[in-house]
Amino acid sequence: MTSLATEAPMASPVAEPLRPIAVEMTGVDKWYGTFQALKGIDLTVRKGEKIVICGPSGSGKSTLIRCINRLEPHDKGTITVNGIELDGSPGRTQDVRLECGMVFQQFNLFPHLTILENCMLAPRLGRGVAKEQAEAIARRYLERVRIGEQAMKYPSQLSGGQQQRVAIARALCMEPRIMLFDEPTSALDPEMIKEVLQVMEDLAAEGMTMICVTHEMGFARRVANRCVFMDKGEIVEEATAEDFFGNPDSDRLKQFLAQILH
Amino acid sequence: MNALPIDPALAWESLPAMLRGLMTTVVVTVIVLALGLMLCVPVTLARMSRNPLLAWPAAVFVVFFRGAPLLILLYLVYYGFGQIEVLRDGPLWFIFGSAFACAVIGLTLNHVAFMVDVVRGSLEAVPAGLTEASAALGIPPRDTFRQIQLPLAMRYGLKAYQNEVVMFTKGTAVISVVTVIDLTAVANEVFELTYDPFTPMLTAGALYWCLVNLIRLGFRKLEAYLSRHHIAVEKQRQPASAGFTALAARWKLALSQKEQVL
Repeated sequence: MTSLATEAPMASPVAEPLRPIAVEMTGVDKWYGTFQALKGIDLTVRKGEKIVICGPSGSGKSTLIRCINRLEPHDKGTITVNGIELDGSPGRTQDVRLECGMVFQQFNLFPHLTILENCMLAPRLGRGVAKEQAEAIARRYLERVRIGEQAMKYPSQLSGGQQQRVAIARALCMEPRIMLFDEPTSALDPEMIKEVLQVMEDLAAEGMTMICVTHEMGFARRVANRCVFMDKGEIVEEATAEDFFGNPDSDRLKQFLAQILH
Repeated sequence: MNALPIDPALAWESLPAMLRGLMTTVVVTVIVLALGLMLCVPVTLARMSRNPLLAWPAAVFVVFFRGAPLLILLYLVYYGFGQIEVLRDGPLWFIFGSAFACAVIGLTLNHVAFMVDVVRGSLEAVPAGLTEASAALGIPPRDTFRQIQLPLAMRYGLKAYQNEVVMFTKGTAVISVVTVIDLTAVANEVFELTYDPFTPMLTAGALYWCLVNLIRLGFRKLEAYLSRHHIAVEKQRQPASAGFTALAARWKLALSQKEQVL
């Protein structure tokens, strides 16, 4: 592996003094009817860490990340986010959602609202921010994802890459402390992937805690402190990006890497 | 007798009465549509609720009143209420004893039952991803419903609603059977006085036609307003030359593919 791996900006988490825990999952099970999507997931993410989760489709990576902000309720085990345990009560769920921003594969921008309104809605309704202030926040984050001049357009007038950057800005407007990315570049044309990854890398450099489900291995190498490999609802392997790609342990991961790296 | 089956003098003479009848038709329509809009959302939410105590009565209501023929429903309301002693002697008899109010009640029951499925279909057409994105942003469910689901459902359901409104408006003619003097009742009266079936019926028909087309124009305005995000996109694509270039490019591509095949 060339300079990309050695340039990784983050020191290995072992060398650092242990930072406070951002997300802790212990023994998490999740069933869809008779299909078990998650099997005894244990995962600890510390503040400022960047975790990349990958694995074949149907391996439970999306389910895992969606359990963290309770878009999917888990059936067993505990999930604690910034000290708030998800116990199913609407209040706790709401608190956790205010801690976490989420970016989806399909962008999910509100089609009937302008870019600016998309970004202002959550601060106004979720945090009760006044209109002028919400607009200032929205414009600030839209500038940051380099899309400020499109503020008055509607989502359908933007390219996929632009829409996804707006989705990131929209999540950032709630000033979350953790960002969850669920395959943010999988629905994008190749030439648009880069602009979205760039925004994510900028965010990582600023110290945001990030959990990303992605198959962008270049991104994983440059940014991730740890990579997690999932298969059939289990975490099979967890390693630093360098070991993960350079020295995979399990056969299943070796097979998977052989497939995606061609 | 002239060649036309219409007697212009009679039409002109009966016009003021016809217009008074039309006024009644319009008033009944507006009242029932307003009641329908107010009632259909709560009934739909009950129908879609996971709580069987809400869902079942709503489902029974819809099945019963969609299935009940409107004419028979009106007879039942108008003549049936009078048979119920509690109502007859109660303080609300001024409502249940009036033909106009009975017509409004009967029409509303029927209209709401049809509207529930229009609203339900429209709400279900809102992509789940948008509701999820809203929840993930920490927007409370009530606000998600009001700001995301309902406005989008209105856009999706507008055509179906327009159909229902037009059918309903013409269908109000049945209230003449319970002695409400609407447009059809006036036309009928003129026919009975003159034994000229064509003039009053065609006059009434023309007035209904005008009313329905006014409604259509109103819906067109409403649709333009609600789908302004689509119109913005269309405008962006509008430059004729751009459209032509794209077409030419596609044509060239098709030709080159053909050449390759050959």
